[in-house]
Amino acid sequence: MDCYTANWNPLGDSAFYRKYELYSMDWDLKEELRDCLVAAAPYGGPIALLRNPWRKEKPASARPVLEIYSASGVPLASLLWKSGPVVSLGWSAEEELLCVQEDGVVLVYGLHGDFRRHFSMGNEVLQNRVLDARIFHTEFGSGVAILTGAHRFTLSANVGDLKLRRMPEVPGLQSAPSCWTTVCQDRVAHILLAVGPDLYLPRPFCLVFPLALPQTPPGLAPGVSSFLQMAVSFTYRHLALFTDTGYIWMGTASLKEKLCEFNCNIRAPPKQMVWCSRPRSKERAVVVAWERRLMVVGDAPESIQFVLDEDSYLVPELDGVRVFSRSTHEFLHEVPVASEEIFKIASMAPGALLLEAQKEYEKESQKADEYLREIQELGQLPQAVQQCIEAAGHEHWPDMQKSLLRAASFGKCFLDRFPPDSFVRMCQDLRVLNAIRDYHIGIPLTYSQYPQVLVLRRLYPLAIQICEYLRLPEVQGVSRILAHWACYKVQQKDVSDEDVARAINQKLGDTPGVSYSDIAARAYGCGRTELAIKLLEYEPRSGEQVPLLLKMKRSKLALSKAIESGDTDLVFTVLLHLKNELNRGDFFMTLRNQPMALSLYRQFCKHQELETLKDLYNQDDNHQELGSFHIRASYAAEERIEGRVAALQTAADAFYKAKNEFAAKATEDQMRLLRLQRRLEDELGGQFLDLSLHDTVTTLILSGQNKRAEQLARDFRIPDKRLWWLKLTALADLEDWEELEKFSKSKKSPIGYLPFVEICMKQHNKYEAKKYASRVGPEQKVKALLLVGDVAQAADVAIEHRNEAEMSLVLSHCTGSTDGATADKIQRARAQAQKK
Amino acid sequence: MAFPHRPDAPELPDFSMLKRLARDQLIYLLEQLPGKKDLFIEADLMSPLDRIANVSILKQHEVDKLYKVENKPALSSSEQLCFLVRPRIKNMRYIASLVNADKMAGRTRKYKVIFSPQKFYACEMVLEEEGVYGDVSCDEWAFSLLPLDVDLLSMELPEFFRDYFLEGDQRWINTLAQALHLLSTLYGPFPNCYGIGRCAKMSYELWKRLEEEEDGETKGRRPEIGHIFLLDRDVDFVTALCSQVVYEGLVDDTFRIKCGSVDFGPEVTSSDKSLKVLLNAEDKVFNEIRNEHFSNVFGFLSQKARNLQAQYDRRRGMDIKQMKNFVSQELKGLKQEHRLLSLHIGACESIMKKKTKQDFQELIKTEHALLEGFNIRESTNYIEEHIDRQVSPIESLRLMCLLSITENGLIPKDYRSLKTQYLQSYGPEHLLTFFNLRRAGLLTEQAPGDTLTAVESKVSKLVTDKAAGKITDAFSSLAKRSNFRAISKKLNLIPRVDGEYDLKVPRDMAYVFSGAYVPLSCRIIEQVLERRGWQGLDEVVRLLNCSELAFTDMTKDDKASSESLRLILVVFLGGCTFSEISALRFLGREKGYRFIFLTTAVTNSARLMEAMSEVKA
Repeated sequence: MDCYTANWNPLGDSAFYRKYELYSMDWDLKEELRDCLVAAAPYGGPIALLRNPWRKEKPASARPVLEIYSASGVPLASLLWKSGPVVSLGWSAEEELLCVQEDGVVLVYGLHGDFRRHFSMGNEVLQNRVLDARIFHTEFGSGVAILTGAHRFTLSANVGDLKLRRMPEVPGLQSAPSCWTTVCQDRVAHILLAVGPDLYLPRPFCLVFPLALPQTPPGLAPGVSSFLQMAVSFTYRHLALFTDTGYIWMGTASLKEKLCEFNCNIRAPPKQMVWCSRPRSKERAVVVAWERRLMVVGDAPESIQFVLDEDSYLVPELDGVRVFSRSTHEFLHEVPVASEEIFKIASMAPGALLLEAQKEYEKESQKADEYLREIQELGQLPQAVQQCIEAAGHEHWPDMQKSLLRAASFGKCFLDRFPPDSFVRMCQDLRVLNAIRDYHIGIPLTYSQYPQVLVLRRLYPLAIQICEYLRLPEVQGVSRILAHWACYKVQQKDVSDEDVARAINQKLGDTPGVSYSDIAARAYGCGRTELAIKLLEYEPRSGEQVPLLLKMKRSKLALSKAIESGDTDLVFTVLLHLKNELNRGDFFMTLRNQPMALSLYRQFCKHQELETLKDLYNQDDNHQELGSFHIRASYAAEERIEGRVAALQTAADAFYKAKNEFAAKATEDQMRLLRLQRRLEDELGGQFLDLSLHDTVTTLILSGQNKRAEQLARDFRIPDKRLWWLKLTALADLEDWEELEKFSKSKKSPIGYLPFVEICMKQHNKYEAKKYASRVGPEQKVKALLLVGDVAQAADVAIEHRNEAEMSLVLSHCTGSTDGATADKIQRARAQAQKK
Repeated sequence: MAFPHRPDAPELPDFSMLKRLARDQLIYLLEQLPGKKDLFIEADLMSPLDRIANVSILKQHEVDKLYKVENKPALSSSEQLCFLVRPRIKNMRYIASLVNADKMAGRTRKYKVIFSPQKFYACEMVLEEEGVYGDVSCDEWAFSLLPLDVDLLSMELPEFFRDYFLEGDQRWINTLAQALHLLSTLYGPFPNCYGIGRCAKMSYELWKRLEEEEDGETKGRRPEIGHIFLLDRDVDFVTALCSQVVYEGLVDDTFRIKCGSVDFGPEVTSSDKSLKVLLNAEDKVFNEIRNEHFSNVFGFLSQKARNLQAQYDRRRGMDIKQMKNFVSQELKGLKQEHRLLSLHIGACESIMKKKTKQDFQELIKTEHALLEGFNIRESTNYIEEHIDRQVSPIESLRLMCLLSITENGLIPKDYRSLKTQYLQSYGPEHLLTFFNLRRAGLLTEQAPGDTLTAVESKVSKLVTDKAAGKITDAFSSLAKRSNFRAISKKLNLIPRVDGEYDLKVPRDMAYVFSGAYVPLSCRIIEQVLERRGWQGLDEVVRLLNCSELAFTDMTKDDKASSESLRLILVVFLGGCTFSEISALRFLGREKGYRFIFLTTAVTNSARLMEAMSEVKA
């Protein structure tokens, strides 16, 4: 126990700070850190070093080398710097390395030294050169702030979505500010700069006072003539200022409130000053580094001092500060409450007692029971277990983690209902953290920093194992990692398209949640269109393939994919795209090979673009459809009779071309009929247009124009049968029985005489009907007689015919009372027939 | 009569959930436009909407006035207009004209378009072209399945038939796949899938892809329905073209059942008012006669009337207490039954009157002759006379199609003369109707020397063309042979009759056509279910021109209960008729299955013909 708290240093009454070694560095640095530009990414991120030949006046004998190491010093990348002089390095939140050049160009590299892209910070920067630059992180991403040679600031809050903001000029600023930093207030990034004893916060959006009045931190000890160093906390909430009087002022970043002030009695400007606090802790402390001294300063009369043996570099973290030098990598942080409670000397906290109890238990000492009783009497066993679990999370060394967890598990045995998830979860988390803290991986994440950042390091197998271990749903975990891996794979320019596509497909198969189209989009982004198309082949959802194909200008392929998808909306989208992209002829040609799309487009045109429809048919030499088109026009679009006839003529021509003689003839007949109907209307008045031929003739007969009717029938070669039916019906409608009789005698009826009977009966003229019934041929005689109601005679005829069916027919017409005799007659005849 | 179900017949799933889903979604959409609003409803959507949400529900969600979408300027004075429409271009133009008229008048209102069952890109594009896209907000009411009855789901998309089978427009297939997906999320996966026809195949594939994309939802669920069978309407046009003689079909043919209800006119109600009657299993009288051959219905109804009378008569010998009981408990039910009975008797009379007028017997005789393939000349003459007498344009067309399909096309001479006669009788615009019918394969000309093998090689060439949809255009280039006669022989569709077919005690599904013909579609389903696949039906499939288009997909699923395995969902793409429904209900009773029907719309011969007809605008 005693030795365990040996590295704890009290700051004031309430807090301890401890520093422990994470790694002894594996790198073999030739340079001193101070000769290099250094950038270390937060969250245990990688370290970039660029030997800076430009700062020193030495001639650049050789090109500098940009090196990237993991936090444990394992080299990740090394490349010869061939571009211009670099002013500043920094890591973005996506762990991309941003290298700000003197000319304002920012080069972006990946974690493995692969060049991603570059962008410029604007002309003003180019002209005035970069004096100083900072890379900072806000909730919107990573930003770049630049101080130019003209002492103006330019800032971009998010390098992913570059928008440059020029800060207003600070009046009277003749030289560079003594120190400056970026702060984030009201969700906007600002520059805070110190000029002499004043602080300025230029607000470019405020129209009235674009440059706020100079401000002084409240409660600042007098006599300050300039600020030498400033630091904002990880969360942008707090600000620390180092004055030339050797004071450190700590307060809120809004400069409204002071937390404390400390006189460290050193007037030399510190090399680095960073905040060191943990989330949800009330303690505020700043770590200040000079050449050989490290000081932790807080709201306490004394500070904690460490001696630095080597040139060191501070990396602020969410819950502490990493300090690395040529040989070691250490972590300095406030001891978390749980650990403090348990390990503080002579602590009587439940967790401490539990840990003790467990140790005694292992020694098989009865003291175990005593301790346990003590906790239980206070009813604090659940807290004790919880404390141990929590403290385990904050321990770096697995042995200590284990003993704490063992204690927790021991305590749990004496509890009835202690939910196991926090314990299980912690064990899992620790296994993961320990795995990545391993020096080969070199990501010294602390428990508080533990959102997963592994994939960015291309440690795919480990990441996948972790996800499987933590039972993250496939879609969230493994698939994302695989997709990330694939996106990396497509950037390997030296591998052939086939190999890449095959490799990706082999690995990914059809893992749920992996979007091949996203990967393909990445491939296209790298200029590998062919690869992108190959990858899209694996995309099971055709719908997803189409947008990218369109983007890649493979519209025809997109069209067939859209058709395959069965989603007509998608097809339509592509069609409209094609329509705008291709000239009309090519567009039509494309359609011609895709009947499904063609029908879809035709349907649309039918309702919306009739002319296009015509062009489509023309293009295809589809005379049949052209004919139909004009026919439809003849009664839908055209009003005037001439127009209609003309449309029909065009249709007829088209039908001839289509070798559809029947349609052509029918159309010509229709033209004749139309003209004729027009003439009839002129001469006779009344409505003829648009009647069918049959109705035209009927109308003529009904209006007594028998001559014309016959003429028409001859002209249009109306068959006899039809004419007879027509005349018969019309005359009966007119109830012109005389004419009907004359007509019936004009020659032998081609339709027989039964229809005459029927029609007379329909007009309820039994008298006339009977006239014709006698003329009906023998096979329909019975029917006719029955129609006119002459059952008895019908029976006679049926019996005479010896026709079984006819007899039953008559029988079914016999109504009980009146036709009794007839019915008997038939029955008799039937019986006779059967005998024979 | 009114055969009861076998005691072991499986329970039907509860489809009312679909209604609730649709209602909730509609309410949600209406609430998206808070405040008072006027609702414009497309005529075709009125009846389905009525089945989902009545006026008072609409009023509850601040719908002020209801209007029909028609080509007239809107009189609405509301500040918010909501349109409930099918995704059709003509509706878009109407809405655009309203919005533009408001703009001209300097009026600003809120407009919301709710597309049912889904919106199409083309519609949005029209709105854009008309310059109103920014003024309206668009939404989808994914209401694609309306439970018309306990065993009948309808998509209420009659245009599906023309759009797909004539125009080759595949946009509804997606809607259908979505609907199937909905069913499988609600009622579990379907362990056994069968299908025949190009549309069936495409829908099935699209549906499966949807399931894959959103997997996890249906996996692990117990299937409630054991089989699904998808069938294209063009596999069997014949059945749909026949005159219906089971009661429900006859009522549909005569009065047109619309969205599960029928308007009985004064001639049926024997009053001066029309009456809208809901026809489904809840109507006890109707439920007993719906599947009956018409010849039995009258007898049944009079028997029923006598029973009813007897029940009424019981009250004679009652004392006060019994009388009280009778009035409070039975009388209402009896009165209800009485009302229904008199309605159906009225309907029967009206049907009889209409049918005798048209010489129904002759018509049926001709149809049977066509189905059986004898006296073709006589039948042709009958059809010609039918045309000459201008009996009915739709009927004439139907007979011509029936002749063509059963005979593998008309012989060239008849083809010409019948068409000429038809044009003379009913007007020249039907030239286009004939083009349509030929393209759909309904009315074709026998190609001289066009042997079966030649056609087949053409078909197979088209089938092997990968790009889906190639065949749709093939309709125009290739007169598909229907091979009805050969199929009929293979599947034994014409029952051998020895003696009279007893329609009271049907032996087989042929009873729905007076014992003359087993509906082809139903026979296929029966055979496939019996064989659990298409084995042994190769020849039939080939004759149906569906060599590559018949599929089976069975997943081994031990979770399917034996009960669910006797539930079969039959999906008719392009519509099904009540006769087919009756025939399958009969089959189900015989075999202990229960069939559930999903159709794009309930259809009949007249609707099919109208869909193909070109009418003057």
